[in-house]
Amino acid sequence: MQLEAVCPMKLLFTKNRIVSLVVIILLIIIWELLSISFGSEQILPGPDDTLLALFKMAGRPDFYTSLGVTLLRGAAGFLLGLAAALLIGIPSGLNPAIEAAFRPVIVTVRATPVISIILLALIWLRVDQVPVFIGFLTMFPILTTNIAQGIRHTEPAFVQMAHLYSIPGRRILREIYFPSILPWLFSGFSTAVGFGWRSVIIGEVLSQPKFGIGSMMQDAQSFLLVSEVIAWTLVAVIVGSCFEWLIRRIEKRMLRWKS
Amino acid sequence: MSLDLISVHKSFGDRTVLNNFFLSVDPGAITCLFGPSGCGKTTLLNLMGGVIQPDSGSVSGFASEKKSYIFQETRILPWKTVLQNVVFPLVDLMPVKAAMDHAREFISLVGLEKEEQFYPGQLSGGMKQRVSIARAFAYPGTLILMDEAFQSLDSYLKYNILTSFKKIWEKDRRTVVFVTHDIDEALFLGQKVVILGESPVKAVKIFENNGTDEVNLKSSILSFLNLP
Repeated sequence: MQLEAVCPMKLLFTKNRIVSLVVIILLIIIWELLSISFGSEQILPGPDDTLLALFKMAGRPDFYTSLGVTLLRGAAGFLLGLAAALLIGIPSGLNPAIEAAFRPVIVTVRATPVISIILLALIWLRVDQVPVFIGFLTMFPILTTNIAQGIRHTEPAFVQMAHLYSIPGRRILREIYFPSILPWLFSGFSTAVGFGWRSVIIGEVLSQPKFGIGSMMQDAQSFLLVSEVIAWTLVAVIVGSCFEWLIRRIEKRMLRWKS
Repeated sequence: MSLDLISVHKSFGDRTVLNNFFLSVDPGAITCLFGPSGCGKTTLLNLMGGVIQPDSGSVSGFASEKKSYIFQETRILPWKTVLQNVVFPLVDLMPVKAAMDHAREFISLVGLEKEEQFYPGQLSGGMKQRVSIARAFAYPGTLILMDEAFQSLDSYLKYNILTSFKKIWEKDRRTVVFVTHDIDEALFLGQKVVILGESPVKAVKIFENNGTDEVNLKSSILSFLNLP
C-alpha cells in the first residue's frame, strides 16, 4: 500500500526535475543562438565566453574578497533587519495599538523607492555601509509584517491553555508563539532574502565600495566587459538560489512536526 | 475545602447566563453538569477556573485549587511530541527528569507508550484526546475541569476513552467537574449528576449515582426531563 503511494510521487518528482533541466538547457541554447546572431562579444557574449570569463575571474583573489564582502554585507543587513523586525513585530502582533503606531513607518519604508534611499544613504553614510543599510531597509519591513502576522495568527486556545496551566510568560512566548510564527518567519525569510540580496548588490553598484559583487559589475561594465558582467550576474543568481535552498532545508527540518 | 458557587450572577451584555445560581462540588468525586447546549455550562467552568469573575455572588474554594483542564478541542500543541505535550505543564514544578518519568507513567495509563515520540499530526482524534487526559492527570493538581471533552469522538472510542479516564481517576480520586450534554457520559462517570435548566441556568435537580442501577437512574432522569 505505502510503496504504491510513494512510488508515483517519486517518479513525478524526478520527472519534474527533468522538465526543469530541459528548460535550462533550452535557455542556454537560445542564449548561444542569440549571441551568434548579434555576432559581437561587446553586446552579447555566448555561454562559452561567459564561462571562460567566470573561470578567469575565479583565478583572481579579488573575486573571493568581493564575494565574501558582499555576503557579509547581506548577512549584516539581514541580521539587523531581523533584530529590528523581532523588536517591532512581536509587540505589534500582540497589541493592535502598537501595530497602529508602527504601521506608517513600515508603509513609508516599503513605498520609498530604493534609489531615493541609496541617494540619501550616499550622503549620510560611508560607502561600504550603504549596501548594508539598503539591505536592512529592504528586508526589515517584510520580516516585521510576517512576524506580526504570525503572532496574530497564533491559536488563542493554545495561549489560554498555557495560562490556565500557569505557564510563565517567557515560556508561552518561546513554546507557543515562537513555533506558531515559524512558518510565517520562513516565508518572510525567503521573500526578504530574495529582495535583500539583490538590493545589496544595487547598493554596491551605486556606492562603489572597494570590493563587492556590485562594485566588480560596475567596473566590468565601464570597461565594456559584458561577459564579466554576465558572469557576476551568474554568481549572484547561484548564491541567491543557494540561500533559497538553504532556507527551505532549514524550514523542513524545523517544521518536521508538520509532515 | 468545600467548593461552592453561592448566589452567583453573571451576564454578558444584556444576556443573563446565571441568576442566583448555587452549586456545591464534592471533593474527591466526579460531578457532571448535564444540560442543553448553550445553557451556560462553559460559563460555569470558566467561573470555576477563574477565567472570568462573577458579577455578584461568590465562587469559593476554587481559587486555591491547582486545576487542570481537558478541553473539547484537546489543545495539545502540534509542534510537541506526545511526551513533550504531557511534560509541558510539569517542567516548572519539578526537575526535568522527574517530569519525564511522571509524564511517561500517565502516557502508559492512556495506552500511548508506543507513541510518546509521535507528533499530534500522526495521531487520531481519539489518541489526541487521550494525550490531553494524560496531561490533565499528570499535572499535580487537585481539580480537573472538563468541557465536553468526548463530544467529537465516535461512541466506540468514547467508551474506550471514558474507561481509561475512569481507570486513572480511580487511582487518585481527584475532584472532577465534567460538563456534558450526553446523558450516558454523565451516568458513566458522574457520582453526582446535576441537571441544568434553560438559560439563565438553574440547577434544577441533582441525582446521586452510586453506580449500581444506572438503567433506572437514566430512566428517572429522562422522565424528569420529560423525554421518552
